Amino acid sequence: MTAVPVPSTTAGVDEVVAVIVLLSEFAMLRAPLLRSQVRLYAFQSLAVVALAVVVAATRHVGDLYALAALSFVLKVVIVPAVMMRLLRGTDVDLTGSPVLGAATMTLIALGVTAFGFFAVGSLHVHSKLLPSAALAIAVAVVLVAFVLIVLRSDVVSQAMGFFSLENGVSVVSLVIAAGLPLVLEVAFLFDLLVAVVVFGIIMRVHHGRAKTLLTDDLDRLRG
Amino acid sequence: MELGVIAPVGVQALQVATIVIAAPLVSGAISHAEGRLQGRRGPRILQPYYDLAKLFRKETLVTEESSWVFLAGPVVAFGCYLIVPLLIPVLTTYGLPLGYMGDILGGGFVLALAGFSVALAGTESGAPYAQLGGSRAMTFGALIEPTILFVVFAVALITSTDLPYALAATVRSSSEIVRPSHVLAAVAFFLVVLVDTGRIPVETHTGTLELGMIDEARTLEHSGPALALLKWGSAMKQLILYTILINVFVAPWGLASSGSPLAVVGAVGALIGKAILLGLVFAVIDNLFSKLRLFKITEFLAAAFGIAVLAVLVFYVGSA
Repeated sequence: MTAVPVPSTTAGVDEVVAVIVLLSEFAMLRAPLLRSQVRLYAFQSLAVVALAVVVAATRHVGDLYALAALSFVLKVVIVPAVMMRLLRGTDVDLTGSPVLGAATMTLIALGVTAFGFFAVGSLHVHSKLLPSAALAIAVAVVLVAFVLIVLRSDVVSQAMGFFSLENGVSVVSLVIAAGLPLVLEVAFLFDLLVAVVVFGIIMRVHHGRAKTLLTDDLDRLRG
Repeated sequence: MELGVIAPVGVQALQVATIVIAAPLVSGAISHAEGRLQGRRGPRILQPYYDLAKLFRKETLVTEESSWVFLAGPVVAFGCYLIVPLLIPVLTTYGLPLGYMGDILGGGFVLALAGFSVALAGTESGAPYAQLGGSRAMTFGALIEPTILFVVFAVALITSTDLPYALAATVRSSSEIVRPSHVLAAVAFFLVVLVDTGRIPVETHTGTLELGMIDEARTLEHSGPALALLKWGSAMKQLILYTILINVFVAPWGLASSGSPLAVVGAVGALIGKAILLGLVFAVIDNLFSKLRLFKITEFLAAAFGIAVLAVLVFYVGSA
C-alpha cells in the first residue's frame, strides 16, 4: 500500500521538530504583539532544545545534553526575560504596522520556503544518517527569518528575526553535524549573547531618542 | 464464542446508522463540556435529541417569497450527509462494497453539495440575514477549498492513491504518524474542521450574533421539520469531519478488522469515545480563543493554506 518509503521514527521525529520550528517562524511573521513575538521565540527555542535532546538520545552524543541545558537557560529563559524587561521599560505594545498584510507575508514566506526546499534539494546532499527534509526545513527557517527582518519595521521584530535565524542555524548544525565540538556550539551561543546586548542597546537608545521602536524614522542622515 | 459474521452490506448500513444516531449525542456531549468549562451546568447530554423531537412535531412556516428550493435544501443536504459515511472508514479497516465508490475528493464534493444546498435554501428565503449567511458561507467555503485540495494532494503523494482507507492503513502500519508531511496535513485538516464546523476562531456556533454569523445564519428562516433536518445534518457533518480526522489522519485504531459482531460493536463504541474526546479538544479551543473579526478570517485561512502547502513541499524534500 505504501508507495514511498516511510522515514524511520528517528528521522521522522527530527523532521517533525524541525517543522515545529518552521511553523513558529511563520507564527512570528504574523504576531501582532511585541510580547507574543518574544514568547514565540522562547517556544521556538524550546523546540530546538527538544531537538538537541532527541538527537543526543538517539545518536548517543553526550555533549549535546550539555548544549541542550545551556541553550535552554540562555534561549528559553534569559534572552526572552531580558527582552520582556526591555519591553516593559517602553510603553509600546504593537509591532510596527507591516508593509504588507499578514496573508501576503505568509504567501511570500511560503514562496521563500519553497525556494529554500528546492535549493537544498538540488544540492543532492545525501547520507543515510542525514534527514534531508530537516536540513531543508532549517534552511527555510533561516530564509523566513530574513523575510521577517526585511518586512517588519520595528526593532523587536528585527531582533527576534535575527535570534530565530540563529535557531535555524542551530537546527542545521544539529542535523548535519551532531558531533560538532561543544566549544563551537557554545561559541554560537556566545554570538547570540553579543547580539542580545547589541539589540538591547539599540532598543534602549532608539526608544530614548525617538520614543518609538519603529525603524521607519531612521531614514535621514545626521551630521 | 461463535457469533457469526455481519455481512459487509450490514456493516455498511451500520456505518451510516452510527453517524446518524450518534451525531446528536456527540454535539450534546460537546455543549455539555463547554458549559462545564464556562462554569455553567450546561445542557443535558441528550438535549439535542429532545430538540430534534420537538422540532419534528412543529409545523413548517415558509416565507411568501420562497419557492420549493427553500424546503428541498435541507432534505438534499441531509441526503448528502447520509452518503458520505459510505465512503470513509467509520467502523472498519477494510473497504466495504460501496467504499470505493468515491475518494476523498468525491466525499468533499458531496459535502460541498450539502453546504451549497443549505446556502441556496437560506438565500431563497429572501431574508437578509439568511442571505448574508449563505453568501458568507460560500465565500469562506471557496477560500478553504485550496487548503482541502492540498491536504488531499499530500495524502495522495503519501499513499499514491487518494482513498481514505489507504491512508488509514498506512498510518496504522508504520511510523507514518511522525512523517512531517503527514503531521502538517493532519494539522491543516484540523484547521479545516475548525472552519467547517463553525468553531471559535471563525464563528461562534452558539448565540444569535447575526453580524458575526456565517454557517448558523443560513438556517435562521427555517422552522419545524426542515430546521430539525438542518440541525441534525450539521451535527452529522460535524461527526463526519471528526471521523475523517480521527480514523484517517490521527488515530485509526479500534476499528473492526472483520465482520464479527463484537469487533463491530467495539468499533462503534471506540468511534463515539474518540469523537467525544476530540470534541473536548474543540471545546477547550472554544474557551481559550476569541472569535476573529470577519476580515481577519482570511488570515486564519491563509495560515491553514500555508500549512497544507508546506505538507506537500516537505514531502518532496523528504523523498528527494
